[in-house]
Amino acid sequence: MVGIVIVSHSMKLAEGVKDLAEQMADQQLKIIAAGGMEDGGIGTDAMKICRALQAANSADGVVVLADLGSAILSAQTAMELLDEEYGSLISIADAPIVEGAISAAIQASIGGTLTEVIHAAEEARGLLKL
Amino acid sequence: MVEIKLIMTNKLGLHARPAAEFTKLAARFKSKITLEGNGKTADAKSLLMILTMGIRQGGELTVKADGPDEIESIEALKNLVEGWLKEG
Repeated sequence: MVGIVIVSHSMKLAEGVKDLAEQMADQQLKIIAAGGMEDGGIGTDAMKICRALQAANSADGVVVLADLGSAILSAQTAMELLDEEYGSLISIADAPIVEGAISAAIQASIGGTLTEVIHAAEEARGLLKL
Repeated sequence: MVEIKLIMTNKLGLHARPAAEFTKLAARFKSKITLEGNGKTADAKSLLMILTMGIRQGGELTVKADGPDEIESIEALKNLVEGWLKEG
Protein backbone atom coordinates (compact mmCIF):
# COMPACT_ATOMS: atom_id res chain seq x y z
CA MET A 1 0.00 0.00 0.00
CA VAL A 2 1.31 3.46 -0.95
CA GLY A 3 2.27 5.50 2.14
CA ILE A 4 1.52 9.17 2.71
CA VAL A 5 3.61 11.89 4.37
CA ILE A 6 2.09 15.21 5.40
CA VAL A 7 4.59 18.07 5.44
CA SER A 8 3.51 21.33 7.03
CA HIS A 9 5.16 24.29 8.73
CA SER A 10 2.92 23.58 11.69
CA MET A 11 3.13 20.38 13.70
CA LYS A 12 -0.53 20.74 14.67
CA LEU A 13 -1.64 21.21 11.09
CA ALA A 14 0.27 18.14 9.89
CA GLU A 15 -1.16 16.06 12.77
CA GLY A 16 -4.65 17.39 12.11
CA VAL A 17 -4.55 16.55 8.41
CA LYS A 18 -3.26 13.09 9.30
CA ASP A 19 -6.13 12.56 11.80
CA LEU A 20 -8.70 13.69 9.27
CA ALA A 21 -7.39 11.48 6.47
CA GLU A 22 -7.08 8.50 8.84
CA GLN A 23 -10.79 8.79 9.69
CA MET A 24 -11.59 7.76 6.14
CA ALA A 25 -8.67 5.53 5.26
CA ASP A 26 -7.94 1.85 5.65
CA GLN A 27 -6.34 1.04 9.01
CA GLN A 28 -3.36 -0.49 7.23
CA LEU A 29 -2.53 2.79 5.53
CA LYS A 30 0.55 4.55 6.83
CA ILE A 31 0.08 8.30 7.10
CA ILE A 32 2.98 10.05 8.79
CA ALA A 33 2.91 13.68 9.88
CA ALA A 34 6.12 15.69 9.49
CA GLY A 35 5.17 19.15 10.69
CA GLY A 36 7.15 21.91 12.36
CA MET A 37 10.71 22.04 13.59
CA GLU A 38 12.46 19.64 15.93
CA ASP A 39 11.59 21.92 18.91
CA GLY A 40 7.93 22.13 17.88
CA GLY A 41 8.27 25.63 16.39
CA ILE A 42 6.91 26.73 13.02
CA GLY A 43 9.01 25.65 10.06
CA THR A 44 9.93 22.60 8.08
CA ASP A 45 12.77 20.23 8.82
CA ALA A 46 14.29 18.06 6.10
CA MET A 47 15.60 15.50 8.61
CA LYS A 48 12.19 15.10 10.21
CA ILE A 49 10.69 14.64 6.74
CA CYS A 50 13.38 12.08 5.94
CA ARG A 51 12.39 9.99 8.95
CA ALA A 52 8.72 10.30 8.02
CA LEU A 53 9.41 9.13 4.48
CA GLN A 54 11.29 6.12 5.79
CA ALA A 55 8.48 5.31 8.20
CA ALA A 56 5.80 5.61 5.51
CA ASN A 57 7.62 3.63 2.89
CA SER A 58 6.66 0.21 1.71
CA ALA A 59 7.54 -1.39 -1.59
CA ASP A 60 4.70 0.58 -3.21
CA GLY A 61 6.10 4.07 -2.63
CA VAL A 62 5.24 7.26 -0.77
CA VAL A 63 3.26 10.34 -1.76
CA VAL A 64 4.08 13.65 -0.09
CA LEU A 65 1.46 16.35 0.53
CA ALA A 66 2.98 19.67 1.54
CA ASP A 67 1.68 23.11 2.48
CA LEU A 68 3.55 26.10 1.07
CA GLY A 69 6.92 27.41 -0.04
CA SER A 70 9.79 25.91 1.90
CA ALA A 71 7.71 22.87 2.79
CA ILE A 72 8.23 21.82 -0.81
CA LEU A 73 11.94 22.69 -0.70
CA SER A 74 12.47 20.75 2.53
CA ALA A 75 10.56 17.77 1.12
CA GLN A 76 12.75 17.87 -1.99
CA THR A 77 15.88 18.02 0.16
CA ALA A 78 14.67 14.99 2.12
CA MET A 79 13.96 13.15 -1.13
CA GLU A 80 17.47 13.92 -2.39
CA LEU A 81 18.94 12.54 0.83
CA LEU A 82 17.03 9.31 0.30
CA ASP A 83 17.45 9.22 -3.47
CA GLU A 84 19.90 6.32 -3.54
CA GLU A 85 17.67 4.20 -1.37
CA TYR A 86 14.23 5.09 -2.75
CA GLY A 87 14.69 6.99 -6.04
CA SER A 88 11.40 7.36 -7.88
CA LEU A 89 9.45 5.59 -5.12
CA ILE A 90 8.80 8.98 -3.48
CA SER A 91 6.84 11.70 -5.19
CA ILE A 92 5.33 15.07 -4.24
CA ALA A 93 1.69 15.65 -5.20
CA ASP A 94 1.01 19.16 -6.51
CA ALA A 95 -2.21 19.46 -4.57
CA PRO A 96 -3.92 21.32 -1.70
CA ILE A 97 -2.88 19.67 1.54
CA VAL A 98 -6.24 18.83 3.15
CA GLU A 99 -8.32 17.77 0.17
CA GLY A 100 -5.29 16.20 -1.50
CA ALA A 101 -4.41 14.13 1.57
CA ILE A 102 -7.95 12.80 1.97
CA SER A 103 -8.26 11.93 -1.69
CA ALA A 104 -4.81 10.30 -1.71
CA ALA A 105 -5.60 8.35 1.47
CA ILE A 106 -8.74 6.85 -0.07
CA GLN A 107 -6.99 5.99 -3.32
CA ALA A 108 -4.11 4.38 -1.42
CA SER A 109 -6.61 2.50 0.79
CA ILE A 110 -8.26 0.91 -2.22
CA GLY A 111 -4.92 -0.32 -3.48
CA GLY A 112 -4.04 2.47 -5.92
CA THR A 113 -0.55 2.60 -7.42
CA LEU A 114 1.82 5.49 -6.76
CA THR A 115 0.71 7.16 -10.01
CA GLU A 116 -2.97 6.67 -9.19
CA VAL A 117 -2.57 8.08 -5.68
CA ILE A 118 -0.77 11.16 -7.01
CA HIS A 119 -3.47 11.62 -9.61
CA ALA A 120 -6.20 11.34 -6.96
CA ALA A 121 -4.45 13.98 -4.83
CA GLU A 122 -3.99 16.32 -7.77
CA GLU A 123 -7.65 15.99 -8.74
CA ALA A 124 -8.29 18.07 -5.63
CA ARG A 125 -6.97 21.15 -7.43
CA GLY A 126 -10.21 21.30 -9.41
CA LEU A 127 -12.51 20.72 -6.45
CA LEU A 128 -15.23 23.35 -6.21
CA LYS A 129 -16.79 23.73 -2.79
CA LEU A 130 -19.92 25.62 -3.69
CA MET B 1 -26.32 -2.28 -17.02
CA VAL B 2 -28.13 -2.13 -13.68
CA GLU B 3 -29.33 0.99 -11.93
CA ILE B 4 -31.11 1.97 -8.73
CA LYS B 5 -32.46 5.21 -7.39
CA LEU B 6 -32.09 6.16 -3.76
CA ILE B 7 -33.34 9.15 -1.81
CA MET B 8 -30.84 10.38 0.73
CA THR B 9 -33.20 10.87 3.63
CA ASN B 10 -30.41 10.94 6.20
CA LYS B 11 -29.49 14.22 7.84
CA LEU B 12 -26.24 14.96 6.09
CA GLY B 13 -26.77 13.59 2.59
CA LEU B 14 -23.65 12.14 0.99
CA HIS B 15 -20.99 13.91 3.06
CA ALA B 16 -17.29 13.15 3.36
CA ARG B 17 -17.14 10.04 5.53
CA PRO B 18 -19.99 8.18 3.85
CA ALA B 19 -18.58 9.19 0.46
CA ALA B 20 -15.26 7.63 1.46
CA GLU B 21 -17.05 4.39 2.47
CA PHE B 22 -18.94 4.41 -0.81
CA THR B 23 -15.75 4.88 -2.85
CA LYS B 24 -13.93 2.12 -1.01
CA LEU B 25 -16.79 -0.32 -1.53
CA ALA B 26 -17.26 0.64 -5.21
CA ALA B 27 -13.56 0.11 -5.85
CA ARG B 28 -13.87 -3.57 -4.90
CA PHE B 29 -15.89 -4.25 -8.04
CA LYS B 30 -14.71 -4.52 -11.62
CA SER B 31 -17.80 -2.87 -13.10
CA LYS B 32 -17.84 0.77 -14.07
CA ILE B 33 -19.97 2.47 -11.41
CA THR B 34 -21.34 5.97 -11.79
CA LEU B 35 -23.48 8.19 -9.61
CA GLU B 36 -25.94 10.77 -10.82
CA GLY B 37 -27.60 13.39 -8.71
CA ASN B 38 -27.99 17.14 -8.27
CA GLY B 39 -27.51 17.49 -12.05
CA LYS B 40 -24.04 15.99 -11.88
CA THR B 41 -22.40 12.67 -12.70
CA ALA B 42 -19.48 11.16 -10.83
CA ASP B 43 -17.27 8.11 -11.05
CA ALA B 44 -18.16 6.23 -7.87
CA LYS B 45 -14.52 5.20 -7.46
CA SER B 46 -13.41 8.83 -7.08
CA LEU B 47 -14.01 10.36 -3.65
CA LEU B 48 -13.55 13.93 -4.84
CA MET B 49 -15.98 13.53 -7.70
CA ILE B 50 -18.61 12.26 -5.27
CA LEU B 51 -17.98 15.13 -2.88
CA THR B 52 -18.36 17.72 -5.64
CA MET B 53 -21.84 16.40 -6.39
CA GLY B 54 -23.11 17.96 -3.18
CA ILE B 55 -25.91 15.48 -2.47
CA ARG B 56 -27.84 16.86 0.50
CA GLN B 57 -30.67 15.60 2.63
CA GLY B 58 -33.62 14.63 0.43
CA GLY B 59 -31.46 14.51 -2.69
CA GLU B 60 -31.99 11.74 -5.22
CA LEU B 61 -29.06 9.57 -6.12
CA THR B 62 -28.95 7.20 -9.09
CA VAL B 63 -26.32 4.48 -8.98
CA LYS B 64 -25.45 2.76 -12.26
CA ALA B 65 -23.18 -0.22 -12.68
CA ASP B 66 -21.99 -1.73 -15.92
CA GLY B 67 -19.71 -4.75 -16.05
CA PRO B 68 -19.18 -8.36 -15.02
CA ASP B 69 -20.20 -7.87 -11.36
CA GLU B 70 -22.83 -5.18 -11.86
CA ILE B 71 -25.57 -6.98 -9.92
CA GLU B 72 -23.39 -7.73 -6.90
CA SER B 73 -21.99 -4.21 -6.87
CA ILE B 74 -25.41 -2.56 -6.93
CA GLU B 75 -26.63 -4.90 -4.20
CA ALA B 76 -23.63 -4.09 -1.98
CA LEU B 77 -23.87 -0.33 -2.52
CA LYS B 78 -27.62 -0.36 -1.92
CA ASN B 79 -27.09 -2.16 1.40
CA LEU B 80 -24.46 0.38 2.40
CA VAL B 81 -26.71 3.35 1.64
CA GLU B 82 -29.76 1.76 3.28
CA GLY B 83 -27.65 1.25 6.40
CA TRP B 84 -27.05 5.01 6.59
CA LEU B 85 -30.70 5.80 5.94
CA LYS B 86 -31.68 3.63 8.89
CA GLU B 87 -29.26 5.57 11.08
CA GLY B 88 -31.03 8.76 10.00
